[in-house]
Amino acid sequence: MSLARTLAQRLVYGALLLLGVTLLCFTLMVQFGPDKTYELLGKNASAEQLEEVRRALGHDQPFLRRYARWLGELAQGDLGTSDTNGEPVTALLGRAFPVTVMLVLPGFILGNLLGLGLGMLAAWHRGGAWDRLVLGGSVAGLSLSFLVVIILLQILLCTPYGLNLFPTRGWRVDDLGSYLAYATVPTLSLVLVTLGYNTRFYRAVVVDELGRDHVRTALAFGATPSTVLFSHVLKNSLVPVLTRLLYSIPLVLVSGSLLLETYFGIPGVGKVAFDAITSGDQPVLLAVVTLTAVMFVVVQAVADACCRLADPRMQAS
Amino acid sequence: MNARALQALWGTAAGRTGLGLLLLLGMLALAAASGWLPLDGFRTTNLQWASASAEHWFGTNRLGQDILARAVGGAATAFRVGILVTLGAIALGAALGAVAGWRQGGWLDEALQYVMGVIDSIPIYLLAAALAFALGGGESAMILAMTGSFWVATARLVRAEVARLRAREFVLSAQAIGLPAPLIVVRHLLPNTVHILLVQATLTFVAAIKTEVILSFLGIGLADGVSWGLMLAESTQDVLAGHFGNFLAASGFLFLMLLGLNLVADTLQDAFDLQGAPA
Repeated sequence: MSLARTLAQRLVYGALLLLGVTLLCFTLMVQFGPDKTYELLGKNASAEQLEEVRRALGHDQPFLRRYARWLGELAQGDLGTSDTNGEPVTALLGRAFPVTVMLVLPGFILGNLLGLGLGMLAAWHRGGAWDRLVLGGSVAGLSLSFLVVIILLQILLCTPYGLNLFPTRGWRVDDLGSYLAYATVPTLSLVLVTLGYNTRFYRAVVVDELGRDHVRTALAFGATPSTVLFSHVLKNSLVPVLTRLLYSIPLVLVSGSLLLETYFGIPGVGKVAFDAITSGDQPVLLAVVTLTAVMFVVVQAVADACCRLADPRMQAS
Repeated sequence: MNARALQALWGTAAGRTGLGLLLLLGMLALAAASGWLPLDGFRTTNLQWASASAEHWFGTNRLGQDILARAVGGAATAFRVGILVTLGAIALGAALGAVAGWRQGGWLDEALQYVMGVIDSIPIYLLAAALAFALGGGESAMILAMTGSFWVATARLVRAEVARLRAREFVLSAQAIGLPAPLIVVRHLLPNTVHILLVQATLTFVAAIKTEVILSFLGIGLADGVSWGLMLAESTQDVLAGHFGNFLAASGFLFLMLLGLNLVADTLQDAFDLQGAPA
């Protein structure tokens, strides 16, 4: 199949996926969601005022026309304005996005590197004491709730009942010192809660690859463990590793940041989404859902391209 | 239930521990719910934030309610939500996955895969929030959101397995003697996916409990009643004032329940030589 045709197919599928996601969420939130007319007007509104606000909000239009109008605005990059403070949603999210990236990036990288290290250790000593220790630890890790990890680390690191090293919550970052002060505990939480999953994933990948003939040959020729693990195993596991890394990006940015930022009061995308949930801010929530879906579409395309580069055999199919 | 699964669960230390933990918590929750144990998590007393004692093992909370009773009540909630979500998601995943696998490559398969792609692109917390909007919140919106999201992982695995088995001789023979397709799928193909369904059920259970806790904490899950998520939400204020009862009880019970489920999931995965897909 030619590259152009694959690309075109990807584009069409991505557009269809976006249409499906937005239609579903638009239906749930706008069609069945609460009517905001009364909230905006307060008590004692006249029938004329009600009518006027309904027209301004587009509530007098049939559902499909409203959806089409929203899609048209989306196509022009207009995500509407927030119901709570009237700010353009693009500005709101543009401000929040860098904060979220700064918050989750170190934890994402560290969590994967640590998982890779532990996974390699366990896989190399498969069936041995190290393997059992790592696997046992990862089962315990899988059984930890994100929320519990956050509160526990907060008690241990941010309160007088523990070491009291960091501020309990907030995000007043202007230099490296303050960044470390506010980002350390969220980062450690993210690392700890993802470590169990990461370790198991990397262990499975490495075990799979270690069992292959080329590894046995390399070992027979006297290759050192580090050569085998890094230049033979890791290089050959690039496809599953890249796929997983890429696919977890939208999840970490949205789902991961939701709890972290809500808990620590950090003004990123997750906090924006949470505030929109609690205040019933439909335009903001719709924008977050839409942009998440866009990320998934982009990630799928990038993962596809990366895998083709990493494994030329895939181009044939 | 599958004989191999039972054998594995009884035959390994991890399986026995997991099963034991779940049985213990289940019986505790049942006993408290039916009033056999003197544990009433709703009765308020004058004793605010009492520390641990023989009468209140984990102390009392802000309203003077016994924290142990609330933690046990939370177990009942976790089982209720977990079982409902798991049953719904596994049934839906098995049915739609089997249909897609049987019609692999056809328009029905394409349509179902598209729907799965759409659902996979919406993070569970946002879907739960959207459903809470539409249904006015509460436990049913939360259960619906989780079921509507978690079936996809199971459906993908069942689809692949059914598509693989479809070309096997026993299926071809069944077709040759004129068995209708639905009968073949239900009687000959789905029973061959039981190992997948068992593993997925435990993993879905884990995901449901974890998600319930976080949704309840965020205020888009359980609104009233007892839940470990609500206890943890309360504890975020408590711990800053040095009251650890809520946190210790809720996180301890939550950990034991998830550990039990994960040990069972692990044992089953090993027994069937299978890698599950977390919901």
